[in-house]
Amino acid sequence: MSDEQRATSDGRRPAEFPPGVARPGPVLSRRDFVRLLGASAALAGVYGCSRRPDELILPYVHQPPELTPGVPQYYATAMTLDGLATGLLVESHDGRPTKVEGNPDHPASLGAAGVHEQASVLQLYDPHRSRHVRHGAQQADWDAVARLLAPVALGQRVGARGEGLRLLLEPTASPLTVALLARVRERWPAAGVHVHAPFAAPDDGDALLPLPDLTRADVVLALDADFLASGPFHLRWAHDWAVRRGAGGGPSRLYVVESGFTPTGATADHRLAVRPGELETVAAALLAGVRAARGVTSAPTAPTTADEATTAWLRAAARDLAAAAGRCVVVAGPRQSATVRLLARALNAELGNEGRTMWYVRSPLLGAGDASVGSLADLAAARDVDTLLVLGGNPVYDAPADVDVAGLLRRVPNTVHLGLYEDETARACAWHVPALHYLERWGDARAYDGTASLVQPLVAPLFGGHCADELLALVAGEATPRAHDLLQTHWRGRAGDRASGFDAFWREALRRGVIADSAAPRAASAPVPAVVPPPAAPPRAAAGTLEVVLAPCPKVHDGRFADNAWLQELPEPMTTLTWGNAAQLSPATAARLGVESGDELALGAGGRTVRVPAIVVPGVADGVAVLHAGYGRDGAEETARGVGVRAQGLFPRAARYALAGVTVARTGAHHELALTQPHWRLHGREPVRVVAPGQPVAREDAAGGTRRRALPLYERQPGAPHQWAMTIDLDRCTGCGACMVACQAENNVPVVGPEGVRDGREMHWLRIDRYYADAATDAAAAAPAGPLSVAQPMLCQHCEDAPCEYVCPVEATVHSSDGLNEMVYNRCVGTRFCSNNCPYKVRRFNWFDYNRDLGDVEALQRNPDVTVRERGVMEKCTFCVQRIREAEIRASVEGRTLGPNEVTTACAQACPTRAIVFGSLTGAGSEVARLREDPRAYAVLDELGTEPRVRYLARVRNANPALAASRAPSASEAAT
Amino acid sequence: MTPPAEAAAVRAAPPERGWPVLRTTAGDAELTDRLLAPIGTTARWWWILFALSGALTLLYVALIGYTVARGIGTWGNDIPVAWAFGIINFVWWIGIGHAGTFISAFLLLLNQKWRASVNRLAEAMTIFALVNAGIFPILHLGRPWFAYWLVPYPSALGVWPNFLSSLPWDVAAVTTYFTVSLVFWYLGLVPDLATARDRLSGTWRRRVYGILALGWRGTATEWRRYHVAYGLLAGLAAPLVVSVHSVVSLDFAIAQLPGWHSTIFPPYFVVGAIYSGLAMVLVLVIPVRHVFGLQDVITERHLQCTAKLLLAMGLMLAYSYGVEQFSAWYSGDVYERYAFLAARPRGPYAWAFWATLALNLVTPQLFWWERWRRSLPALFTAGVLVLVGMWLERFLIIVASLNRDFLPSSWHLYAPTWVDLGILAGSLGLFALLILLFLRFVPLVALSEVKQLRHELARERP
Repeated sequence: MSDEQRATSDGRRPAEFPPGVARPGPVLSRRDFVRLLGASAALAGVYGCSRRPDELILPYVHQPPELTPGVPQYYATAMTLDGLATGLLVESHDGRPTKVEGNPDHPASLGAAGVHEQASVLQLYDPHRSRHVRHGAQQADWDAVARLLAPVALGQRVGARGEGLRLLLEPTASPLTVALLARVRERWPAAGVHVHAPFAAPDDGDALLPLPDLTRADVVLALDADFLASGPFHLRWAHDWAVRRGAGGGPSRLYVVESGFTPTGATADHRLAVRPGELETVAAALLAGVRAARGVTSAPTAPTTADEATTAWLRAAARDLAAAAGRCVVVAGPRQSATVRLLARALNAELGNEGRTMWYVRSPLLGAGDASVGSLADLAAARDVDTLLVLGGNPVYDAPADVDVAGLLRRVPNTVHLGLYEDETARACAWHVPALHYLERWGDARAYDGTASLVQPLVAPLFGGHCADELLALVAGEATPRAHDLLQTHWRGRAGDRASGFDAFWREALRRGVIADSAAPRAASAPVPAVVPPPAAPPRAAAGTLEVVLAPCPKVHDGRFADNAWLQELPEPMTTLTWGNAAQLSPATAARLGVESGDELALGAGGRTVRVPAIVVPGVADGVAVLHAGYGRDGAEETARGVGVRAQGLFPRAARYALAGVTVARTGAHHELALTQPHWRLHGREPVRVVAPGQPVAREDAAGGTRRRALPLYERQPGAPHQWAMTIDLDRCTGCGACMVACQAENNVPVVGPEGVRDGREMHWLRIDRYYADAATDAAAAAPAGPLSVAQPMLCQHCEDAPCEYVCPVEATVHSSDGLNEMVYNRCVGTRFCSNNCPYKVRRFNWFDYNRDLGDVEALQRNPDVTVRERGVMEKCTFCVQRIREAEIRASVEGRTLGPNEVTTACAQACPTRAIVFGSLTGAGSEVARLREDPRAYAVLDELGTEPRVRYLARVRNANPALAASRAPSASEAAT
Repeated sequence: MTPPAEAAAVRAAPPERGWPVLRTTAGDAELTDRLLAPIGTTARWWWILFALSGALTLLYVALIGYTVARGIGTWGNDIPVAWAFGIINFVWWIGIGHAGTFISAFLLLLNQKWRASVNRLAEAMTIFALVNAGIFPILHLGRPWFAYWLVPYPSALGVWPNFLSSLPWDVAAVTTYFTVSLVFWYLGLVPDLATARDRLSGTWRRRVYGILALGWRGTATEWRRYHVAYGLLAGLAAPLVVSVHSVVSLDFAIAQLPGWHSTIFPPYFVVGAIYSGLAMVLVLVIPVRHVFGLQDVITERHLQCTAKLLLAMGLMLAYSYGVEQFSAWYSGDVYERYAFLAARPRGPYAWAFWATLALNLVTPQLFWWERWRRSLPALFTAGVLVLVGMWLERFLIIVASLNRDFLPSSWHLYAPTWVDLGILAGSLGLFALLILLFLRFVPLVALSEVKQLRHELARERP
């Protein structure tokens, strides 16, 4: 969606830089421009036209420090979400960051980048970001803020010890921020510091975070933990889980107990859907079951829960865990009660996992185990506050329903908000200061395991702005703080003991993106109270009420990314819902309520009501509605405004993530949901295959005959030295969607908005299909455990006998000698015959000129190596041909042959589990050639004789024999 | 005045149980005057219809402009249904364009006397239908301004069209058919234009018809050459009737989409095309003969023959439908079976499937009975129903096949937009407008042929 205000509303040509964008120089006439162009070419003044920051920034390790215009460079930096960092490498084209990749050296990334990291580069260029310091309704400037917070003025207002001063921060683990806060408190000892974020990592009082080693876990049990697809360390965990899953000696086994349906649950070998209120009982029953299985005395002999099937499931899982004692892991979800998390600790201790597969690490977050840091509720209750600094976050929007933040902000005379947008909170504050995007600022951060990184800017601030560190320094008494200097000063003090001196430390930290040996020491065990609080009795499911779960949206998180059109249009992994949220109900619940997907529900609790459309999702626990946070925004973010429903409005402090006894009623309204995939059953087809461990993919069709194949009509021409191909391991794919956003960022894929999605016109070159692989009927899909849901990334298969090629009347889609199905945009007349004849339906058509309304700022994000397509032409996955050609040219310049594993596509690079592997089939040591020969490898629709270059590796279902009878993978469904 | 004996002979002429091919009592001169009378008509109904169809044509022009300016996204097409109204309308119109040349060329070659009175109108219908048919494939392109890239010409780009694709052949087939049909029509018109030049009053009229008549004087040599040329063109046009819709059918049949990928498509499409064309002939001829009082020239015999042909084509179409379903079942292919045996009868477009069967297969069964073959309201209604049915058949083939193909993940429903509906209505408006202009400015019955037929019939008197 590019419907932002443009400078062209009066019909004039758009200025090169719209108002508010700091210009690189005075406005140029065409004549001046050409003269300068000539001059800069002559002087090779490569710094001339870029938006590089003023301070020295350093590219990633192995690259030459000098710049060649047109050749992108990578810089290491880090992005924080809920206070914890993921290390990144950011591609920069002449001073303009265009693409985010993971930093292979960073423990939270290992080279992968998730949807939020991938999409963050679009947020940088978001034209709806605020551009000015504001006081009341007036435009102000930074000096006015500095005067407001100058020590003398501040002291007069808040008292000598700072009694009237309050700071509200988002969770942070930044060493610099923590140090600056200490300085603030030194200066204003009575000042209050509060931390708020709706979905930050929990603190059990002892500030210990679980750090499982999933590379060694044969059995994993997740208690409502979506550890493969969300949370600050999920990229690492997904990677580690996949490493063990794919290791020799048979795959690991994953059990998931959960209320909603998450990618982790869909990846599970065995899944149990329970209501959130039942989870404590389930965890306790598991502990009892494990103790029974290990023969520990004085334990109940068997786990007990309300119903028999659940008990049997838990007993089998407990036995399996006990059998794998010391080689298993139990993880509890971060939004579970302390009881569940402590029970998970007890389970790991009981199973002897501590020090083997389970470790603990001290939370690096500010205020972890520190009672002096207050909560948002403490702040809302505070009186006599004169000056409140809201340094990030959007509490007016996302505070629990019974915390009156708006009232607080009205009460406090001097409120200063720092944020990227004039959001709900900014509007309620007297002052607003535009924040810097992380790609524009200096800073530092820590990852989940404590590893510290420096955050270096890739671009000079687009709209001006400041960071929290600068405001803190101002409050601490520094007159003109600059983040870069603050950061250097901070680390100079701490890196002094290094023999090579600070400069070398600084350069190394910037280059690598990781500060060596900064991870927190891990502890082999965590204290478990002798008596774990007894599980609360699950609330009785009263007739006509639901238990409602609030989960962070996998796309817009708590709403902070709601203005990001890539994320809005990214299909939600389990429902493929775009542009909004809905109440996810199980088929049984929906049938009981008499609703279908799209029918609007009124959910009511405590006098609050949320009206939200329903969506039927097999796999959600019966009697539960799952809502995603982050929608129904009402700030200045135009893309976000009015999209979806503000689910947070239902949840009070005492039940922030799960609320029982919610009344439900149909309103009679109906919404057409913007789904990218409305059909989930296989209808007797086999695009996804499921095998048992060690079992090869069936080479016969359902009737037992050899698969029929169409005979090739044409002889194949001898090809180029490299033959590009891809394999996708469905057993590793969690369907998280990182590849989709990576593809969108790399290939300038436009967004089409909710109308476009409803009309079936989404442009994603790579989509993730999801099938209910074991459900021949809707009734089967509605089984309480949920269907066996298999995610399948689907992209152009680069068929060797491509059906699209021969039907194109103008040869706009042709085959390259190295095996790519190429799309020649400027030859395409747009008959769309190729799409009709593509059995995979991966071709995308430019129904409108999707780039017409592209703002000047957004245009800066576009990858200059990839054509921006015009209206009326077909487009599709190119196997990132720009990367292939770039690598070939580089190899030829260096006078060597290109290795088979040297090039990777954007999707493969982003994938945390390395499910996608790209490379050449020729050449020694080709990874993709090896995987093609895997017994699990198959081609989708191979009976059509298309000879696709993309091969899939079948999903493995490592069923527990004790539970296998409940659901066997079914490869042969009757035709419907 | 014609001698009564001759008139009686004409009336009694060929067998067909009192259904003469011509039952006029008029002599040559009177016939000429009567058949030229519609030219220059300024009847009230003409103006009303002209205003109506003119308005629809303006809508057509406006929506074409809108589509070209905004993009094909103004239509309801999506992925997977990348073809919809544009191609449905194209196939439908080109199908309608089959009856004219079929009636003219085939029946001429088969020496069927009943063609003489209706061939002119049917051929005009063909030309006008082809005008519409030509608009859609260009308009539906993403970049219509590059449509000429489908034509093989020595391009500076050094690229030829891809002859493996059916689309360049489609362009060739349709343009050839249009050209030959136009020339055939015009050649047949020349003697009548000369008659108009000679018989009509008004200087300008006579000048215009004089120029268009290409100096025709009606000498024996001219007539001899005329008949040779006309016969040759008929011989050229007849196979084109078969080839053009066969090639159009390949636009679908060469794809591997279940519902398209079928070897029966060429004959199936040709039959369907002639079927819809005959239906359009009925829809046009019945009112035209009524308003111009031509019942003695376009007799019940013509309608009767058309109805019989309609029945025959309907039966062939039924056979094609049957073979399609049978092949799908017999193939054992999961995709084919789903497309034909599940998606069509029970899927989201089941209504179109059952409506197609009812309209196209049940309607013509009426004409087993002579009673219905005589009934003008029945014939007219049947024509309309078959036209609707054939449009729905193309909707079914295109939309219902595309919307559910191989991977269930990509299944998506299709719905037209107001632009789609407006363009369809506009194309009907343009067609009606052209027919109205034709009625006003061109001799709508082949004068010379009818007069010749009259003499032939008189000679055949036993």
